[in-house]
Amino acid sequence: MRIWAVALNTFKETIRNRVLINILIFAIGLILLTLIIGDWSIYQQAKVIKDFGLSAMSIFGLLIAIFIGIRLMVQELEQKTIYVIASKPINRWEIILGKVLGLSITLMINIVFMSIALWGTELIQEGQIDLGLAPAILLITVEILLIVCFAIFFSSFISSTLSAIFTIVVFTIGHLSGFLRDYIEIYPDKGFHWLLKGIYYIVPNLEILNLKMAVVEHLEQPPHAVLFGLLYGMGYILLLLLLTIIIFSKRDLK
Amino acid sequence: MNNLIIKTEGLAKVFKETTYGGLKQKTIVALDNLHCEVFQGEVFAFLGPNGAGKTTTIKLLTRLIFPTRGRVWLFGKENVDHTAMKKVGYLPEQPNLYGYLTGKEFLNFIAQIFGLDKQVRRKRIDVLIERVGLSERVMHLIRNYSRGMVQRLGLAQALINDPSLLILDEPMASLDPVGRKDFRDLILELKNQGKTIFFSSHILSDAEMIADRIGILNRGKLVSVGKLDDLSHSQTQPVEVTFIVDSSQISQIDLVKENVIVQGNRVLVRLDDKEALSSLLRQIDKWGGRLESIIPQRKSLEDYFMTEVRK
Ligand SMILES: Nc1ncnc2c1ncn2[C@@H]1O[C@H](COP(=O)(O)OP(=O)(O)OP(=O)(O)O)[C@@H](O)[C@H]1O
Ligand SMILES: [Mg+2]
Repeated sequence: MRIWAVALNTFKETIRNRVLINILIFAIGLILLTLIIGDWSIYQQAKVIKDFGLSAMSIFGLLIAIFIGIRLMVQELEQKTIYVIASKPINRWEIILGKVLGLSITLMINIVFMSIALWGTELIQEGQIDLGLAPAILLITVEILLIVCFAIFFSSFISSTLSAIFTIVVFTIGHLSGFLRDYIEIYPDKGFHWLLKGIYYIVPNLEILNLKMAVVEHLEQPPHAVLFGLLYGMGYILLLLLLTIIIFSKRDLK
Repeated sequence: MNNLIIKTEGLAKVFKETTYGGLKQKTIVALDNLHCEVFQGEVFAFLGPNGAGKTTTIKLLTRLIFPTRGRVWLFGKENVDHTAMKKVGYLPEQPNLYGYLTGKEFLNFIAQIFGLDKQVRRKRIDVLIERVGLSERVMHLIRNYSRGMVQRLGLAQALINDPSLLILDEPMASLDPVGRKDFRDLILELKNQGKTIFFSSHILSDAEMIADRIGILNRGKLVSVGKLDDLSHSQTQPVEVTFIVDSSQISQIDLVKENVIVQGNRVLVRLDDKEALSSLLRQIDKWGGRLESIIPQRKSLEDYFMTEVRK
């Protein structure tokens, strides 16, 4: 299986990358750090661990996603290692899918490690683990995969610096989607109204994938919030992959 | 014709170069209207100065880039997807290979892309590693290879699918003299197996030794194609004769002055054709001289190349 061969190779590349390992160790270290902070009241402490753990997971997960997603493509295109692959009997779409698959495996393994750290901390501190965090972790994973697809999408046709900037912009706007909508509703027909509206519709609403607060505070969730988030994220991912493949298949690898 | 392995028709590539974030655009005609044919079992050398368009042509053949105009056929079929690549081995110019893999892992990866099964992979990889002389380092990371070692590994990956056509972009760059010799032997061995080889080079003497036919490209245009002998053979064949003679005799030598170099009692004479050789040899005998060497001078590919490129 050609896709699988590329995926495996990509996976090897990412896990042999020292920076990735360092970020991961740092993130896990941070999560474990909550162990030695013991000053809060019991109830507060439980919350702090969850809150802090989930935030660390999503922030460092995203950091890794942006960093290695872009690096991966740039290394192929700028150092021209792609020549020996793309000249083989393999389609360009297979290369993209293989890369995304390999990268996703790495990212999911990261999530697994960070989850173990989080639940481990809980277990040590409180003698029990809260499986109610799982839906939030699931959607964090979806968000990370979505962001990595953006990173690969951008870096399949523009430079690494611009790709990083655009990916971060998408991430930021994605989380401010609600504000953007409110703004458009409150001030309709202002100068750049159409532009804001365009951005609002193009950039995914990443708050849909954010259940951190809900699971930590045990808030009432809308029914099917997890399922909806999953489908929403997957829909975007498929769309992005399609666009990336179309662009990448037509471009010169020069 | 089914013995036509590579055929291009009106192949052209124009690059766009943008600066100021796309505000300013220049075009570069890298390849212009290339008609080229390479036949089954041939060793074809694609020569030309820097920037002539050799790499561009090769990238068009391997579908790394797409033509602005024109068409390509490989093995008699129009090259519109990647299926023909099953039978092609390609070595890029100054290849960069994945530094985080070991040589062996890399070859295994490439073999997997070709869909070779485990048994075949293992066997071929071992043979090839031996063949390109990398046995000592295959278990090490490519990141730490020297340029020539990467080149050898690049060659090995080009052979992993036992290709019937090899497309090699400056295969001898960064090889040491031994590596070059090995490479020439390898090419001739592959040719004897009936493979077709298309390679680009600057190194004319190497091309001269192994190529059946040569194409010379200059500024995106193919300026000449043909058998080496047809291209560079001149009607008369000059010879250089060196002999040692007693210095008292030297003054008697009455040959065209500009063709004679005298150093002590050693004399070098350049004759414009072989006809004059026997009379000179008799003369040397008469003077009591001692013959050192007779070297035929072929008008070299280099001379030919220079005149073609300067035109
Ligand atoms: N990606 C690119 N963008 C713009 N111009 C390019 C690009 N690649 C090649 N060129 C131009 O196309 C022309 C042909 O380049 P090419 O690399 O094919 O030459 P070459 O014959 O392989 O030279 P060399 O012997 O130096 O390898 C050159 O003028 C080069 O500057
Ligand atoms: Mg070149």
